[in-house]
Amino acid sequence: MELKEKLKILADSAKYDASCSSSGSNRTSKNGLGNTAIAGICHSFATDGRCISLLKILMTNCCIFDCKYCLNRKSNNIKRAIFTPEEICEITINFYRRNYIEGLFLSSGIIKSPDYTMELMIKTITLLRNKYHFGGYIHAKAIPGASEILLKKLGSSVDRLSANIELPTENGLKLLAPNKDSNKVDKIMSYVKENQNRKFVPAGQSTQMIVGATKESDLEIISKSSSMYDNYKLKRVFYSAYIPVNKDNLLPTLEKPPLVRENRLYQADWLLRYYNFKVNDLLNENNPNFNILVDPKTDWALRNIEFFPKEINKCSYYDLLKIPGIGVKSAKRILQARRNFTITFNDLKKLGVVLKRAKYFITCNGKYFMNSSYFKKDFIEANIVLEDKSIENNKIEQLGLFNE
Amino acid sequence: MNNVYLYNDSFNELISLIFYLLKNNIKPSNIKDVSYNPNLFEECIFFCLKSKEEDINNIIEQFGYYAFRCVYYVYLSTNEFKELIIYYFILNAIKYRKKITYMRNLKCVHETLRIAEYVSHETHKMKGFTRFKEINNNILYAEIEPVNNILELVSKHFEKRLKNEYWIIKDVQRKLFSVYDKKNFYIIPEENFKLEDFTISNEEKEIKEMWQLFYKTIGIKERKNDRCRMNFMPKRYWKYLIEMEDEL
Repeated sequence: MELKEKLKILADSAKYDASCSSSGSNRTSKNGLGNTAIAGICHSFATDGRCISLLKILMTNCCIFDCKYCLNRKSNNIKRAIFTPEEICEITINFYRRNYIEGLFLSSGIIKSPDYTMELMIKTITLLRNKYHFGGYIHAKAIPGASEILLKKLGSSVDRLSANIELPTENGLKLLAPNKDSNKVDKIMSYVKENQNRKFVPAGQSTQMIVGATKESDLEIISKSSSMYDNYKLKRVFYSAYIPVNKDNLLPTLEKPPLVRENRLYQADWLLRYYNFKVNDLLNENNPNFNILVDPKTDWALRNIEFFPKEINKCSYYDLLKIPGIGVKSAKRILQARRNFTITFNDLKKLGVVLKRAKYFITCNGKYFMNSSYFKKDFIEANIVLEDKSIENNKIEQLGLFNE
Repeated sequence: MNNVYLYNDSFNELISLIFYLLKNNIKPSNIKDVSYNPNLFEECIFFCLKSKEEDINNIIEQFGYYAFRCVYYVYLSTNEFKELIIYYFILNAIKYRKKITYMRNLKCVHETLRIAEYVSHETHKMKGFTRFKEINNNILYAEIEPVNNILELVSKHFEKRLKNEYWIIKDVQRKLFSVYDKKNFYIIPEENFKLEDFTISNEEKEIKEMWQLFYKTIGIKERKNDRCRMNFMPKRYWKYLIEMEDEL
């Protein structure tokens, strides 16, 4: 098979993995090619708007598993291919020298056995690091069920190592991925957590969940994420809106992937990690799914309107973070600025704070942005929803998108 | 008459001129480099000043490294009033010292930080968007057209990343070459540098086609989103992004 055709098949099979970040590592290589940038670098953006940072490929799309949702499942009649380690090294180096990519993302279908597959991957990455002296970023997927000694080997030459949990509950996994065992994924995550240091998986681990393939609520998904962040010190959980690639009675039929839901989960994920929110603040048994109309933070603020309005010049850093429209960067700028002068609405603009949302929930030096009698939940909610809608409409008109 | 003060186009000379103006209590109506064409109401004044390293050190020591970096980045920008913005920034920095970068309610500070951020963002983008091709004798060659004058900042990145390669980056608009000889990079104007004619090998074409194929394959068609792509990768950069060749 020609190398180009292999690349096409094995990139096509790898594209459903959402992770493409290249951050968190600062590797330098003394005499070789390449280094890594701590902030990560995006080299291009695909037609779906996602960042392309790494050469994202599978070692092989042959697989002994038969997961219902996966393109590469055993029972699918598709073209199969396998790269040799040398081929992957050549492509990676050729792309990297020309600055097409930041490094390599290597995953694989399971060929013969988990150990055999991992050994192939290790061979590739060792060759890349030792013979080609490659110092760029490498993200490898650990194969669940492979032995610990192989995990140790792989982890010592990559920047990030990850294993996908795929579905938030055991039941979902049993239903759609009968060959997968969540304990094996847990084992990988604990091992990486216990051993992570400057030499072993320096950029930490991440994982991915498919959203919308099974019936789990947002509450179940976000609770799972939260417990994984706590237990395994994950850098990221990626959410991937389910895209039907296979027909199966057990799978839902969807017209479009649930992209808004995916977006809400990412927003909530951020709130958990950087804004001191707890799962229970955002969702509960009576209210187990996110509001599609407004983002989770605004939704929370509207439900807790008695907490507002907050005085920008006085309230604590953590309270600043609770204000819709104010992020970590804005909150820090406000702290620095108010030590030196009293902040007015006009100053907020100069600080780069986006007032579209925030203005409803704050006072500056005691003043609300309009007559304070308008500070009412219903009024604010109506305004925010309408503003979002009209922005969305304008954008659609301007660019004539979503036609397809 | 409005007095416009001129400097030889270098950062050090601009800073020396600004300190000279401040010391002598001269309020400029504008500050421009020597190529400036004044209008009817302007008079150009040029002092023969020696640029002093200590002026730069002064900024770093008294106002902090972050403030210095911001000022330098503004100098690299194409803002029409960049020199005047730097002048007022330094004028205020003398009062506020290291606190100056927190004083965003002052127009000159707000503008300085905003422009510096813009230059820094473009530099970061360019680290990803630069595309090399291999030309004669294994030299890697790239052309870029950034809005701001960031050839030096971009070169600093590739000096570390591609340290065992010979590479040349050309800023097409500014007609500048950055040439790296495996030890240092040198920024050379077009008139002093001749890039020999080159042909593109078949192998090079093959690698480029592989990349284009990868690009086409990796996007998920059910998630197609031109608006999002355009936000992250504005059209102005497409010219040199070989994966966008078909869509131009």
